[in-house]
Amino acid sequence: MASSIPTTREAVIIGGNRIPFARAGKKYVRTSNQDMFTAALEGLVARFGLQGELLGEVVGGAVLKNSRDFNLIRESVLGSSLAPATPAYDLQQACGTGLEAAIAVTNKIKLGQIESAVAGGTDTISDAPIAVGDKLRRALLQANHARSTGDRIKALLPVLGHPKWLAPETPDTGEPRTGLSMGEHQAITTAKWGITREAQDEIALRSHQNLYRAWEEGFFDDLVTPFRGLSRDDNLRGDTSAEKLAKLKPVFGRGLTGDDGAPLPATMTAGNSTPLTDGASAVLFGSRDWAEERNLPVLAKFVDAETAGVDFVHGHEGLLMAPAAAVPRLLARHGLTLEDIDFFEIHEAFAATVLTTLAAWEDEDYCRDELGLPGAFGKVDRSRLNVNGSSLAAGHPFAATGGRIVATAAKLVHAKAAETGKPARALISVCAAGGLGVTALVESA
Amino acid sequence: MTAVVGADEVRSAPRAGAPSSYTVTDLGVVPPLGGLYVKGAMGSVTKRPRAGVVLPRVVYRVADVDTTGVAAHLADYQGVVGEPVSDVLPAGFLHVLTFPLATAVMVRPDFPLGLLGMVHLRNTARVFRPVGVGDRLEIRAWAEHARAHRRGVQVDLVAEAFAGGVPVYRGVSTYLAKGFSVRDGASTPSEWAGPDRAASEGALPGREVPDGAMPDRAADGAGRPASRAPWVPPLPTARWRLPRSIGPEYGAVSGDRNPIHMSALGAKAFGFPRAIAHGMYTAARALAEVGPARRGDAYEWTAEFFKPVLLPGSVDVAIRYASDAGAGAAPAVGPEGGFVYDAWRAGRTTRHLTGTVTPL
Repeated sequence: MASSIPTTREAVIIGGNRIPFARAGKKYVRTSNQDMFTAALEGLVARFGLQGELLGEVVGGAVLKNSRDFNLIRESVLGSSLAPATPAYDLQQACGTGLEAAIAVTNKIKLGQIESAVAGGTDTISDAPIAVGDKLRRALLQANHARSTGDRIKALLPVLGHPKWLAPETPDTGEPRTGLSMGEHQAITTAKWGITREAQDEIALRSHQNLYRAWEEGFFDDLVTPFRGLSRDDNLRGDTSAEKLAKLKPVFGRGLTGDDGAPLPATMTAGNSTPLTDGASAVLFGSRDWAEERNLPVLAKFVDAETAGVDFVHGHEGLLMAPAAAVPRLLARHGLTLEDIDFFEIHEAFAATVLTTLAAWEDEDYCRDELGLPGAFGKVDRSRLNVNGSSLAAGHPFAATGGRIVATAAKLVHAKAAETGKPARALISVCAAGGLGVTALVESA
Repeated sequence: MTAVVGADEVRSAPRAGAPSSYTVTDLGVVPPLGGLYVKGAMGSVTKRPRAGVVLPRVVYRVADVDTTGVAAHLADYQGVVGEPVSDVLPAGFLHVLTFPLATAVMVRPDFPLGLLGMVHLRNTARVFRPVGVGDRLEIRAWAEHARAHRRGVQVDLVAEAFAGGVPVYRGVSTYLAKGFSVRDGASTPSEWAGPDRAASEGALPGREVPDGAMPDRAADGAGRPASRAPWVPPLPTARWRLPRSIGPEYGAVSGDRNPIHMSALGAKAFGFPRAIAHGMYTAARALAEVGPARRGDAYEWTAEFFKPVLLPGSVDVAIRYASDAGAGAAPAVGPEGGFVYDAWRAGRTTRHLTGTVTPL
């Protein structure tokens, strides 16, 4: 398989920067996507002395956008101290946005189209768009298109008869095609795989403990810039315990019935589900030459990536299970197995998402029937999993998560390689709305 | 569930056209539904339950229905049931187009069953080739196959559409009239001479027929065969949050403004605690959620109705590949083998409807 990868030059990860992630409605109230992404970008510029620098491209996005947020990333660049001639564009792939941005820019670097780039993302729940309903919107548009005052009034008359049309629509995490929230979708997958409450709480506990330890050890000192009075992710609970997590009431998965007609236990709580969060992240990439010419650090190579989609709409697969399909393809392309991976960065949308992914890879029937593998894909060594915490502890501002993980993974493999003198690899896996999965392979440079 | 749908399949699949003993009556235009309802309501008063139901042997036909003008109506329909806006008429819209003609048969003085209180038990529709806005259609409707139901008589209202003489659509709506009965508890040979009669009659006696009607609550449970195992809902794939307004909205696009769908007051008059969703709305929404791309140009769409959906209401839905739903007859694994859908009250086990969408 390895021969099918065309030979290109390397794209390297130089470093990353993010602002602390804040729980929704708290520190970053009245802060826009653009404010946050500009802050993350400026921190990156400051860290690597890029003031006035003309970069090849800045790419990123936000999942929840106000209509004013068109050209969000370009506007952020214009508000940064990068050279205004630096081009930029927005992309969006739900929670995969940040990682997909990294894939996009590194591909251009590998092909020699650009020498340097920033990829990242931003999202805010506190400054989320509120829209008017379709019926009011149609009436307003019709009035707007009307040529006479009479026609305008005629277009708006139905609104008077339907005061309910005035109710605003707030964004939620519901899937458009199913009407189920992401948590409800995951709860169905969780039930199918029989994932226990205890196993989920354990993942959540380790996420908080690992992220807390990493902060205490200074791991994030060169990855995070304080913002608006926040210097650490405020969702982090260093003092949480299995007992505290066990006390929380289930919020997803109530009312499900097993094959035998007995109710299935609801296991997903606010403790083992990722909270809604505000934040932004940015990662600096370059060709090796570009980095070395500027004496910039080269932490890791962004080796390759693979995306996947699943049909969750008809329940054949779980909404967040696409990474389970993407990773085996990614590793096969490089002749690697799970044993060859030193760090697994599996985005914790929910603790259960991580656990169903791991369970799927260990399941012989699933791997054969759904993934087309000869047998079980393999077992993930838990001591290599999200070693410095992940989204359950840090929070998950949708498009900002990819950048957080890429920077963490690059630092981890760099340190490991320096310590052992051998190459180290990290596997990144991010699930996303719409049954999408975005995965990437990072290797020490 | 599978067995029930399977039996329906066997019964309706090979037939086409009305029984040969029927005569065709041409109507110039499709009659307006509103007037038919008034006539149906009035006529129901005189149509008393009695033994020996005999159906009128008549086919109503409208020879030339021009669909050029339906574009706006179609877009409204598509918006309400969740179909993507397009110029192709979904099976549910063809049902709406032909429904007045079938209703006209049912309000004839010699149609023995009262329109009021009739319960829609099940519906099977087939689209043989796509019908587009602008196609000129001949439509026909008639009643056939009056047969026993343990709570009365069930009858099929059949509607067919042709474009350029070629069949494009066939819909069979099965209704229950409670209290009525047929001779010998089975369909009469003179009324029913379809080629698969033996199969259908063979399938009938042991067949489980759902309780379709909610107002007649006394029949629930007590009326069910004791051997019937409680239904177990599958894991849901979707949830519908149906607002009160969906009744009037579907009423407007379908023409079916039965008071039980339009307001709580209207529903209470007929014994329902609140307004209920049109069964055909819920079935049409399931069809829409499978979608044009997966059902293909030619497809069969079935629905079997149980307890009605009270509005507003949350409905848990499972729309699955037939092969995933354990439907043994699935012609292929994955989406190519068609879909099975189930809908029930969110978080409970109260079943609303089930059905299939199968590419032909």
